[in-house]
Amino acid sequence: MAHEIRIDPKFLAEFIQINKNIIDAPKLAESLEEINLEMTPYEVVYSEGKVRLLHFSPLVSKQVKTPLVIAYALINRFHILDIHPKKSWIRNLLGQGIDLYLIDWGTPTQIDQHQGFDDYVNGFMDNCIDFAIKESSSDKVSLQGYCTGGTLSTVYASLHPDKIKNLILTAPVIDGRRDSTVVANLAKHIDVDKMVETIGNMPPEFMYYVFSILKPFEQGYEKYLNFFKNIHNKDYVENFIRVEKWLTDTPPIPGELFRQWIKDVYQENLLINNKMYVGGKQVSLKNISMPLITQVAVGDHLVSPECSMPIHYAVSSEDKTLRIYATGHVGMIASSFSQQKVLPELSQWIKERSEK
Amino acid sequence: MKISICPEYVIILPPMAVSKDLKKSLGDYKHASLFWTDLLYLISSRPQSLTATGPFRKLGVNAKKLSTETIEMNEDMTEFNSRLSSYYKQLSDTWTEAQKEYNRKVPEIPNDTEHLEASKRIWIDIFENYFTKLFDSPEFAENFGKLVTSELEIAKHWNNMASTLLESANMPTKKDMDEVYKELHYLRKRIAKLEKIVNKGGM
Repeated sequence: MAHEIRIDPKFLAEFIQINKNIIDAPKLAESLEEINLEMTPYEVVYSEGKVRLLHFSPLVSKQVKTPLVIAYALINRFHILDIHPKKSWIRNLLGQGIDLYLIDWGTPTQIDQHQGFDDYVNGFMDNCIDFAIKESSSDKVSLQGYCTGGTLSTVYASLHPDKIKNLILTAPVIDGRRDSTVVANLAKHIDVDKMVETIGNMPPEFMYYVFSILKPFEQGYEKYLNFFKNIHNKDYVENFIRVEKWLTDTPPIPGELFRQWIKDVYQENLLINNKMYVGGKQVSLKNISMPLITQVAVGDHLVSPECSMPIHYAVSSEDKTLRIYATGHVGMIASSFSQQKVLPELSQWIKERSEK
Repeated sequence: MKISICPEYVIILPPMAVSKDLKKSLGDYKHASLFWTDLLYLISSRPQSLTATGPFRKLGVNAKKLSTETIEMNEDMTEFNSRLSSYYKQLSDTWTEAQKEYNRKVPEIPNDTEHLEASKRIWIDIFENYFTKLFDSPEFAENFGKLVTSELEIAKHWNNMASTLLESANMPTKKDMDEVYKELHYLRKRIAKLEKIVNKGGM
């Protein structure tokens, strides 16, 4: 019995087109190795080991005296905050006249495996913030922490409240028990002691695995199909390659820091319960009394809003703001949406609370 | 033994947990191996030491460590294989269930662009939902945690074997390097503290 197979000519045309696009792709897109993620000029004003404090060159005249220090996350590098001129968090804040510093944690190696929260918070962060205070002739700084940088910033603000004028927490990891993401699910079941004792630092491969289980079909197939479909769209291709490069640049996390982060935040949930100790001192969230803004994204599949929001209720600040945005973890900091909605609200909030 | 078929490959899956019988026979094997390793080591250690020279002398003395690590690594391999099988079973079962759901929702192969695009969207949504549910489950996380632990146990044996070889060549082992890193970390902290005191202008 003969079967007739009918194929839509449009489907065939699309199939042929995508194949052509795949062949053309190397001519139209740069390879990850060829691109440089450094966008906005900066100066390394302080360094300690592998940690660097970057001071970004102003784009307009300074409108507030209090500098803003950004503590980037421990996962991947800071380049996502400056990924594309039209989507750059850094460029936007500089354009608002904000004096901007950023802590780049660098790429730890085995020699750094014993560095923990104490070294990061009371060592690197404290020294960077002291430097920014001195260089800007201010009394205090505004501190922004993104993702795990939000956890570090929370601990810092609790232990050194006298140096922080305003605290900005963007998708911070705070209440591990309430975190409903797959990341938290895995973190709760990892034998972190064995991992650190056996291999030292948290290896990037482990993070790549975690990334691979976050929306594997959307991110695994659809994303790359769309890339080839849009290969003639220069802006799309440039942004895609830059984000991919950022995604594959994952430094290890120092073993001791990783151990404390997983145990104290995810497994034993000590931070939100004011039971975490860093450098022998108790981290009480009640010590945080400066103005606080917490930014969370409803579509965040790395740090769920339920994990971040409890900080808003745990601090003793009277001036506190909670902003919930209809976007995702990266969308909140590197998208057209963040340029139009998140950043204008943030820069206004900072300006209203900073020394002029 | 159970045979599970998924669209891309066929895997033969062993039972999910290490059975008591298997554990017992592994224990017996380990005991017998260690007994003979010890005995052979005792019998041959003197001639081995006598005939070995240079770095091989140390290796001759430490040779037993290598066989002990190998035996223990084999034991951990069974746990690892069991966890790995469970891991693949979870993935393949979820794939099969998601595919069934997709087949129910899209019973016919689409043959025009619009239907193809719609069915692709449905496929992605269904698979994303099923797999996210799996990754969110405590069963998955528990097995994954144990899989990583067993992997680390194997890595630990590798480290120990490598250390034995390095020791015999009079080279620093991982443990030696760890001690250096720890000491360096301690010294850096002390220096940073002293610098802070000096910058503040006294003790």
